[in-house]
Amino acid sequence: MASDSLKRLLEKRDDPYAWARGWKERTGGKVLGFFCCLAPEEMIHAAGALPVRITGENRTISKSGAHLQSYCCSLARTGLDMALEGELSFMDGTVFVHTCDTMMRLSDIWRLNAGFAVHGDIVLPVRFEGPSAHEYAVSELSHFKRKMEESLGPIDDDALNESIKIYNKNRRLLSELYALRLENPGLVSCDEALWIVTSSALMEKSEHNAILEEILADLKSSGAGSEPDGRVRLFGIGSVMDQWDFLKMVEDVGGTIVDDDFCNGRRYFDTEAPEGIDPVESITERLWERQSCPCKHRTDRDRAVCLAGRVAESKAKGAIFWMFKFCEPHAFDYPHIKKALDDQGVPSLNLEIEQGSVSIEQLRTRVEALIETIRGS
Amino acid sequence: MPVAGVDIGSLTAKAVILEDSTIVATSLVPTGHNSRQSGRRTLDLALEQAGISEGDLAGIVATGYGRLAADFTQDKVTEITCHARGAHFTIPEARTVIDLGGQDSKAIAIDGRGKVLDFVMNDKCSAGTGRFLEVMAHALEIELDDLGALSLESDSPASISSVCTVFAESEVVSRVAEGVSKVDIVAGIHQAIASRIYAMAARVPVEQKIIMTGGVARNRGVVKALEKRFASEILVPEMPQHTGALGAALIAGERANA
Repeated sequence: MASDSLKRLLEKRDDPYAWARGWKERTGGKVLGFFCCLAPEEMIHAAGALPVRITGENRTISKSGAHLQSYCCSLARTGLDMALEGELSFMDGTVFVHTCDTMMRLSDIWRLNAGFAVHGDIVLPVRFEGPSAHEYAVSELSHFKRKMEESLGPIDDDALNESIKIYNKNRRLLSELYALRLENPGLVSCDEALWIVTSSALMEKSEHNAILEEILADLKSSGAGSEPDGRVRLFGIGSVMDQWDFLKMVEDVGGTIVDDDFCNGRRYFDTEAPEGIDPVESITERLWERQSCPCKHRTDRDRAVCLAGRVAESKAKGAIFWMFKFCEPHAFDYPHIKKALDDQGVPSLNLEIEQGSVSIEQLRTRVEALIETIRGS
Repeated sequence: MPVAGVDIGSLTAKAVILEDSTIVATSLVPTGHNSRQSGRRTLDLALEQAGISEGDLAGIVATGYGRLAADFTQDKVTEITCHARGAHFTIPEARTVIDLGGQDSKAIAIDGRGKVLDFVMNDKCSAGTGRFLEVMAHALEIELDDLGALSLESDSPASISSVCTVFAESEVVSRVAEGVSKVDIVAGIHQAIASRIYAMAARVPVEQKIIMTGGVARNRGVVKALEKRFASEILVPEMPQHTGALGAALIAGERANA
């Protein structure tokens, strides 16, 4: 029951950068890649450039093997491989947010080897709390803005405020999509819902907003009065989830992910930036208030407690941890979150994977066993 | 009415027929290259042994790595759930199941009714599985079935640091070249497996009693090494390889009566 707009989005799932390449051809504008969803995309957008998310892909490593050890995550290794093979040549530059050790080092390796004209680094505080950290974050983001202006041209406050509005609208629409699915997950499958969010970071935001409005209208009219389909409700936890065949398999064996903490899922769009204040303050404010990832901390918001609460709110009966091999930040948080879920009586599954060597059949047995456990068979 | 469980594993396919909660027939054949055929064959052998035909069965549940290939039943249940149920039936006090099969190793925490509470499985690595032992037996020119008894004779197990099948094989070859006795090498291999399985099992709460299932449980040396590592007795059912098929048959019975 996919609507035409959704079908158009899904067509590009095997060629995620088609939109960015097309945009560049059409407008002659600059395209900037970024890895982490903490990157202030609005600033790049306000300069008239297109921010595009790099999330690695399923591939066999070739050229990046010379630069990165095999104990780096597949996100870094396959992403760098794509750049070194020239597959990201439509990009004019890349922005790195310092989150984990791998991303910090990848930034340097990328700057020296990938051959892009523009390079930006953002070093945000690790603890998002206290006035000095806040002040530092504002000054770091202002510095990044000035750096982008040198490469991309001026970013005036009006343009930045306008970009914030467009991004906030996207966040609102995506929240609406998730709210509809929480009500009735059968409206759209979990792989399609996650692709809708992922595609938001791959195309011009206003264009995505227009498509999203059509999709939401179609879902509301087609889904009116339909009943939930009895699939086991699951909650997804991890960084990037781009394994569409895995998500389809979860639905095949009778489950569905109704909400998540993926950084190309809920964590990409949650929390709007406040409007009507200084735009750099606004962007900082949003980063401060949004759901945290394992690379950023707030002592007043224990991540395990927050996630366990969100799992309960979503009425999920089980959780799937989707962990990139060698991802230390996520692995570090795992035992705490797992314990919080155990205490709440929510069974979970820890799947450790690498892009390019995901074996769906092996994972099927584990997901099926989780569903059997939940159903009490 | 009788019910059947068929467990199509990576190396062997097993069937169990139950009537009134009593095992009336069991069979085992190598899986080979055709999971569908070996599943069929092991079921036919068990039916023949029980002296009944397929039409007499109230239900069949297929499990194991090849369960999706089984075309004689629509009822498929994962080997995790089946091993839990089979282990509980054999030893009701069991709370932790360690299953070491042909290519899988898993640890399952179960409750007092044989329901799964949590589980962990090996990833793509075959260390600690039946396949690993086959490779080691081949490298040492020893029959697979002799590994267990042989290792019990050792009083100074060789140090085998790697549990990667490929690396361990070359390490074994080095030990042979150093003149270490086969007995000590085999004991060292079993210790390496025990450490690996212990580390994996630690991810689920290991509670008493511990039961070991799967083909590797027939190797007394591995069981001994695990007992030492876990500092606990490890119970092994009479037919450890059939635990999954037994669990499948039990579930077939529950479903037939539902």
